[in-house]
Amino acid sequence: MGKHPLLNETRGEKQLLLGNEAIVRGALEAGVNIITCYPGTPSSEVVDTFRRIGGEGRYKMEYSINEKVAMEVACGAALAGAMSLVTMKHVGLNVAADPLFTTAYTGLPGGLVVLSADDPGCHSSQNEQDNRGYARMAHLPCFEPASAEEARAMTRAAFTLARDLQQPVLLRTTTRISHMRGAVTFHSLPKPSEAVPFEREPMRFVPLPAVARKRHAAVNNIMLRAQEIADQSPFNVETSHTETKLGIIASGVARDYLADALISGGWTDKVDLLELGMTWPLPEKKLSSFLSRHSRILVLEEGDNLLERDVRALCQRIGCAVSIEGKDEILTDMGEYSRSLIMQRLAKWFSCPCPLNPTPTPRTDLPGRPPNLCPGCSHRSVYYAARQVFGDDAIYSSDIGCYTLGVVPPMRMADFLFCMGSSISGGSGFSEVSEKTVVSFIGDSTFFHSGMTGLANAVFNKHKLLLVILDNGTTAMTGHQPNPGMLQESLGEGCTHLDIEQIVRAFGVDQCKKVSSYNVRGLIKALTEFKDMPGIRVLIAQEPCVLYARRTLGKRQPNVAEVVEQNEDTRRCLKELACPAFYKKGEDVAVDQNLCSGCMVCLQVAPKSFKAVKREGGRA
Amino acid sequence: MSQDKRLRIFFTGVGGQGTLTATNLLARTALMCGLEVVAGEVHGMAQRGGVVESVLLLGGWKSPKLDHGEADLLLGFEPLETLRAVPYLRQGGIVFSNSDMLPPLSVSLGVSHYPDLDSIKSEVQKVASQCTFLPCRELGTKAGSVQSGNTVLLAAACANGVLPISLEMLAKGITTFLPEKLHASNLEALRLAEAYLKA
Repeated sequence: MGKHPLLNETRGEKQLLLGNEAIVRGALEAGVNIITCYPGTPSSEVVDTFRRIGGEGRYKMEYSINEKVAMEVACGAALAGAMSLVTMKHVGLNVAADPLFTTAYTGLPGGLVVLSADDPGCHSSQNEQDNRGYARMAHLPCFEPASAEEARAMTRAAFTLARDLQQPVLLRTTTRISHMRGAVTFHSLPKPSEAVPFEREPMRFVPLPAVARKRHAAVNNIMLRAQEIADQSPFNVETSHTETKLGIIASGVARDYLADALISGGWTDKVDLLELGMTWPLPEKKLSSFLSRHSRILVLEEGDNLLERDVRALCQRIGCAVSIEGKDEILTDMGEYSRSLIMQRLAKWFSCPCPLNPTPTPRTDLPGRPPNLCPGCSHRSVYYAARQVFGDDAIYSSDIGCYTLGVVPPMRMADFLFCMGSSISGGSGFSEVSEKTVVSFIGDSTFFHSGMTGLANAVFNKHKLLLVILDNGTTAMTGHQPNPGMLQESLGEGCTHLDIEQIVRAFGVDQCKKVSSYNVRGLIKALTEFKDMPGIRVLIAQEPCVLYARRTLGKRQPNVAEVVEQNEDTRRCLKELACPAFYKKGEDVAVDQNLCSGCMVCLQVAPKSFKAVKREGGRA
Repeated sequence: MSQDKRLRIFFTGVGGQGTLTATNLLARTALMCGLEVVAGEVHGMAQRGGVVESVLLLGGWKSPKLDHGEADLLLGFEPLETLRAVPYLRQGGIVFSNSDMLPPLSVSLGVSHYPDLDSIKSEVQKVASQCTFLPCRELGTKAGSVQSGNTVLLAAACANGVLPISLEMLAKGITTFLPEKLHASNLEALRLAEAYLKA
């Protein structure tokens, strides 16, 4: 196989890249030495790309078991002198915040860049927190690209800054930036960075209270230097066209929508712009000059009103009486901005009619395509079995993964969820004060992420909990990344398989059973036995993710299911198992052979209704 | 390219159809033609088993997503999704759509009703200045693979002249950016689309 185009050494080459791929190129151009991560949409393609291109020995990389661990491994490497990158989605940074706040005090000589991929609009997340707040709170210089080209250039600049200042730097994207494609012009690809030799310095790197107090002063000084750099940064650009007294300050993806809105409205010459790409610390000199030359300022930023608040505070400090507007009922702190929202906001600010045509109201009566568990998904049969045994009598504590979709009827297998790993500890707490049985569901990757600690706690504190570990042998939802539960032959030589059952038993759980996820009778039997037992009970339901089995392991069942008898059981199976491979043919139930995975769970649910037949040629 | 040649394209289809691959093929071909390109897509949970939407903006637009009423061109890889996406089309925009249906689960299970193709067409025509429905799955299968049906749609848009990309450049894009084993079927799909439009 030839060299991957991302490793091309030709300067000036132009390629169409995903924002996340552009980050990879920027990191390579900076000379990155090590990459750690926990996968999470919209960040995953960064580390998946590093994995795919191989790197020709340029860097080391790992899928860590959670974001805190990923952060600590990257911090350790940066302390040992390596240029380090750690990637995660926005909520992952909550998990990783502990080491980050303290290493920001001690500094990291090799240079650490932290990618936080935020998800305004909650495309695939449980909240839309704005991680620019972390830059302010943890003392991190912050870059916010708004195009694929900027993603490359700012990543490179973030590494240079991280090494120069020895300070962790936040690279903050949003879903639209991580998942946009645009032309990227390559700069040269140097050799990987030389390590900065580690020098023992416990009075800096061991944050005893006396050390930490001194380091707080040190980090404040570093951020003053960073502020000077922000004032000189080529990513903070003023565009002044005219003698206008109207000024717009914009950051992140809002800059893209603003550019299009100004053209669409014919307003380009009406306003001056200050666009911020290096958004923390604020370029106060540039801002002060901009503020004092205008009479009215509009601040545009998707997410929280951080920039707006800081600009207001700066005005107060420098005694500038400019009028400042920002968030209002059009541009709120909720969801995503868009070109048309910014046009409406600008029209209001200009006090002119908005030149947008009315648009048709979307039809709400069309049949939807809500996300669903795949045909043959090993979670469906487990959920079916649990519903047979517990019905609505139990409380279902869910976790983060494809299996969260168990919330969809007819399964209805999720009553609450906080965050990664919470199914076990949140379930433990619930069951402490509830008469009801609590059944917790957690996937294999999430178990390693932060389920293990909850289980240890549950054993230690003698909680009562029925835990089902949905072990499909991969990190399915984010794109089949490796985790310690993956089979050794799939992991290869670089990683060691960890056995979930051995871990559970080593924690002192006596009641632990392992059943195939496709063995409906076995699942029902195990759950029924566990139902009225006290203490901690763990059922490991194991079967590879059906997509992973087909695409990566090359496994495809030779048989598919066929309906042989239309009866009450057939209709019950359609209603209660609700496999997406089923369809109605008039009043009859049928199986779409193209969709059927051959899991044969329906044969167990309604033995007289279905039989296995040889798969016809079918599609690949 | 001058500002009046700016073009916004909305793609919609069903997970697994290859909508994103088609978007990426057209985007890379556009870059090869020297156009300014921005494309946007949504990955992850939003995509699993559901509607897949993406956008391609040519000629200097910067926004990586579209609002209602903004698309000059709508490429629908499934007729129900074409109908659902009509609000994204600007008044007078152009539509190319697959006419071969992929019923959603609720329709398969007899819980909801799939609108008939004629009513879809008439709804689309209320907004579009031109709309063309092609049997992409049928033509793709004839060309050698169901997936090459997506190329039928791209080729139809290129042949129409609405895209600043010629059929020859699309053919070059296919041979440059797709794996070699897919070249024959996709080039054949391109020819079939051309023939279908002339018929």
